[in-house]
Amino acid sequence: MNRSVAIIGAGPSGCYLAQALLKAEPELAVDLVDRLPVPYGLVRYGVAPDHQGTKAVIRQFERLFERQGAHFYGNVAVDRLLLDKLRQAYDAVVLAAGLSSDRRLGIPGEDLDGVIRAGELTRALYDHPDAARLPKLGRHVVLMGNGNVAIDLLRLLAKTPEELAGSDLGPEATDWLARSPVEEITIVGRSPAAKARFDAVMVKELARLSGVTISVVDPGTSDEPEGAKKIEALASLTAAQGGPKRIIFRFGLTPVALEGDGSRVAAVRFRDNAGMESALACDTFLTAIGFEAGSDVLQRDHLLGEASDPEAGILAEGLYTAGWFRRGPRGTIPENRTDAQVLAARILADFDRAPAGRKAGRAFLASRPAIVTYTGWQRIDAAERAAADPDRCRRKIASRAEMLQLAARIEEPLA
Amino acid sequence: MNITILYGTETGNAEMLAEDIAGELEAEHAVSVANLSDFDPVGFDQGCFYLMVCSTYGDGELPGSAQPFAKAMEASDAKLAGIHFAVFGLGDSEYDETFNGGSKRLAELMLAHGAVQVGERVIHDASGSDLAEDLAFPWAAEMVALASERIGEVA
Repeated sequence: MNRSVAIIGAGPSGCYLAQALLKAEPELAVDLVDRLPVPYGLVRYGVAPDHQGTKAVIRQFERLFERQGAHFYGNVAVDRLLLDKLRQAYDAVVLAAGLSSDRRLGIPGEDLDGVIRAGELTRALYDHPDAARLPKLGRHVVLMGNGNVAIDLLRLLAKTPEELAGSDLGPEATDWLARSPVEEITIVGRSPAAKARFDAVMVKELARLSGVTISVVDPGTSDEPEGAKKIEALASLTAAQGGPKRIIFRFGLTPVALEGDGSRVAAVRFRDNAGMESALACDTFLTAIGFEAGSDVLQRDHLLGEASDPEAGILAEGLYTAGWFRRGPRGTIPENRTDAQVLAARILADFDRAPAGRKAGRAFLASRPAIVTYTGWQRIDAAERAAADPDRCRRKIASRAEMLQLAARIEEPLA
Repeated sequence: MNITILYGTETGNAEMLAEDIAGELEAEHAVSVANLSDFDPVGFDQGCFYLMVCSTYGDGELPGSAQPFAKAMEASDAKLAGIHFAVFGLGDSEYDETFNGGSKRLAELMLAHGAVQVGERVIHDASGSDLAEDLAFPWAAEMVALASERIGEVA
């Protein structure tokens, strides 16, 4: 009998898992469920709009639906109740829903005006349907965090409009960046430069920016090859000189408090490794320090706490987890691919051990109202490409209602 | 002709392209596809033509699946004289300094062991406007034509 797998979250982890499952067992019924009407998760909404090459993995994921028989069920919000029903309907359910809430620093002053979190900001910049409005930036930004998300934001804030050609950055975000009053960005890491989380290539890319003057304060040295590579990448940035926007890299500073002038942030106090405190004046404090589960309708902490083998991604009988939902907000797209391949092998081994039951499978999801199928997504995709401005490759539709309208434009038979 | 397509991949893009190239060549040739991570350098066969498809990762490095092969090649004194290969690279010019370093490194490893490179290394830019297969299919056809002359001469 044919087995069925429902994967909650059609982002890179879920798609790679579907790929690994279908490569090994082409007859499996593999369904990708997403709370958004559109697939691909962070490839669409997390990879920066000027990194289209990184988004090329989407071409692999399209094959899942176009050739390998996977189904997409978009606009389906899975809570614990629906999760239980899915577990009854499918032989295996995998939670690959990612982590979407910004981690907080947990220091005084975090709720002042001018404190902006990276997830909120990238959702607004990348036209996510659940985004808040683009915030008001000041002239002096302190950007806290040294991961690739921080480097993405630094690069976008520093690019000239011409340097965004070919991206899929929307008109509103383009205008917001072009009018930004930002004069200076100080990017601060808690770790020394050698231990920074960013990839060296992401930093090297900054050396090509035309409108900046970059300085690096105390990058230190490292005997480790990985650390040395990061320091060398930072050293290459001294080539970026003469532009009007000042970028300053600082390391080894832990924020201890934000100070306000009225309701708006005016300074951030740091402590260094020697315990000395210092302050940096700023009117905008941007954090890019990682993600957590947030509202958590799936009760991630509880599920992981009760898991029979959390390291292997096994939560309970027939219930698995992959990607950031399992590991926390670490790891790039290829790391999630490797993970997905390991989990796929485990799921298939579990299928081999247990007799197949009689499950409803995809008939259960296909009968739900207001789902967006892959065909529906293809209509949205075509509309977005057709609406692209000449120097853009796509114009994302940010409104959920508009997406649903486009997706449902033609009646389609339920698969 | 016997053709083996070897791929080095990190995100799966090179793997997909390798399989697509195999699909193009299968009608006229005996084609097999293997991940470099599963390929032992002692397995090279003079009667076979090797099409290598390789991406780049990080700072111009070989992708994860090509790393064990590179280590084995570095540790080995295997002579690959008479082994014919061609290389197609995948890269992203957003990171221009290291653009397509992986495929370059792979070609160098093969040449260092005396293998014979057929044609020029062709590279695809993920940030460019071409689809990888639109460059890779004509490349594969041309390399196979070149190799059939060469391998014919040797034999």
